Amino acid sequence: MPMVLLECDKDIPEREQHVYIKATGEDTTMFLPASNVPTIPGTLSERGCSFCGAKLVIGGVLKDTIQLIHGPIGCAYDTWHTKRYPSDNDNFQLKYAWSSGMKEQHVIFGGEKQLKKSIQEAFDAMPESKRMFIYTTCATALIGDDPRAVARTVMEERPDVDIFVVECPGFAGVSQSKGHHVLNIAWMNEKVGTKEPEIVSPYTINFIGDYNIQGDTYLLQEYWEKLGIQVISHFTGNATYDELCGMHRAQLNVVNCARSAGYIANELKKRYAIPRLDIDAWGFSYMAAGLRKIGAFFGIEDKVEELIEEEYAKHKPALDWYKERLTGKKMAIWTGGPRLWHWTRAVEEDLGVEVVAMSSKFGHQEDFEKVIARGRVGAVYIDDANEKEFFEVVDMVKPDVIFTGPRVGELVKKLHIPYINGHAYHNGPYMGFAGFVNLARDMYNAVKSPLWGLAGKDVREVA
Amino acid sequence: MQEKIDALVGYIQQKCLWQFFSRAWDREENIAGVLDRTRDLLLGATPPVDTDIDRCHLADAKTLSAELRSEFPWVAGMRPDQLGALFQGVKETMMEIAVAKSRNGELYVSYY
Repeated sequence: MPMVLLECDKDIPEREQHVYIKATGEDTTMFLPASNVPTIPGTLSERGCSFCGAKLVIGGVLKDTIQLIHGPIGCAYDTWHTKRYPSDNDNFQLKYAWSSGMKEQHVIFGGEKQLKKSIQEAFDAMPESKRMFIYTTCATALIGDDPRAVARTVMEERPDVDIFVVECPGFAGVSQSKGHHVLNIAWMNEKVGTKEPEIVSPYTINFIGDYNIQGDTYLLQEYWEKLGIQVISHFTGNATYDELCGMHRAQLNVVNCARSAGYIANELKKRYAIPRLDIDAWGFSYMAAGLRKIGAFFGIEDKVEELIEEEYAKHKPALDWYKERLTGKKMAIWTGGPRLWHWTRAVEEDLGVEVVAMSSKFGHQEDFEKVIARGRVGAVYIDDANEKEFFEVVDMVKPDVIFTGPRVGELVKKLHIPYINGHAYHNGPYMGFAGFVNLARDMYNAVKSPLWGLAGKDVREVA
Repeated sequence: MQEKIDALVGYIQQKCLWQFFSRAWDREENIAGVLDRTRDLLLGATPPVDTDIDRCHLADAKTLSAELRSEFPWVAGMRPDQLGALFQGVKETMMEIAVAKSRNGELYVSYY
């Protein structure tokens, strides 16, 4: 079946290039949704801005770094606390939000003095942190403030601090994806190679594209420790600023989220000849395959088999319990991009769940190549879906559960369909073996809960 | 032979992420690097490894060859010339899907 123009899109026919239903015998050389292109005016898109992609997804995860957002307070507030990535230093990065608090007078007369004052205040108030990211936002980019110059001045006055500037205002690209790109490349150009890590193991990796959502990094760290693998840099779950400066010393880049962090892995391969190994950290069979590849790279296959055997013994019975009860359930995944292809086969193979619709907010065509290759025939694949499309697709495929973000989740709740937070999880972590059991438990609890049905009833009639 | 090629291509499409790297040259390097080594392993030969990138391809090839032995038992019964022809066909098809006929407009963007 070619690209599809949904009924709700009849007045915006351009949307046909973004909606695909897979048919038997088709592959991605025949049809591939347009993606990473500007949202069509008139469509109620769910995308975030480019600044958000840099701050909320990657930079804001760092546990020892002040995240100073140079702009109006809303840019800081709206990218604070909406994603749960804890850290082992009492969640420094989640407890505070920092903003230069731009007002009209700063827009008119320039905001650099206000920025410098805010930087000094932040370092004075939090002397335990000597590292800072500064982000430009739409307002400060448009008036031409030069945060790099301000940062240089502060670093001259305070030689013990280091500041990294991310120049990616909200309007820089079509979605969050631009922010990932800008931060990856700028960090590579300016910071990688500036510090030498202490090497304590013959096996060293960078684990790239994991943001410690509800403890994913902690869970995987247990595996690395059991295998004797030193993670030089976690990009960026539970990581420090300085740890990320030493990425050039790893022997292998293991990549989970290729969309938000594939760029830095590509550059490390090009500039330092460090190989890139992409894995899926969600799902039993995928996680096992990823570990086996890492084991084969380092020649520690026996240790890996021992670990997998141990983890299967501990967690497979629980997974099977859920599989028995979830088999045949229909699921929709409406998230950013990569979780579509990470999850579509994993839930089918490990839990017997059929993924019937997938939508990506900021995925590129590379992501659609992956998900269409892995996804089911008859499933709906959408780029940058709008609200009406969500409603129409729900009617078409009738999912039992939807994994999505809080914004779309609110729509879904009103339809009385179980919703799981596919970005920040309900009760994670979801990565690794134990994590996938958590995902299965959340899915089971959602689809079996009577509340969704009761919410649609008039209590007077029930009584 | 075409059926066998299609079966392996279908499996690789679903399982392997190395075919989907961001740039055309990366995809070509991975397809050749992993599939040649997978063929060598299935033939009982020792694949060449000169660099860390070769070592990474070998790691992927070890996993893939083990999976192919288990999912497609007929692979083990093939003669070396048949296996060579099979993998040549798989490689050509993968190059076609992932590179030559790919509709991914970003494959040749230098700054991706």
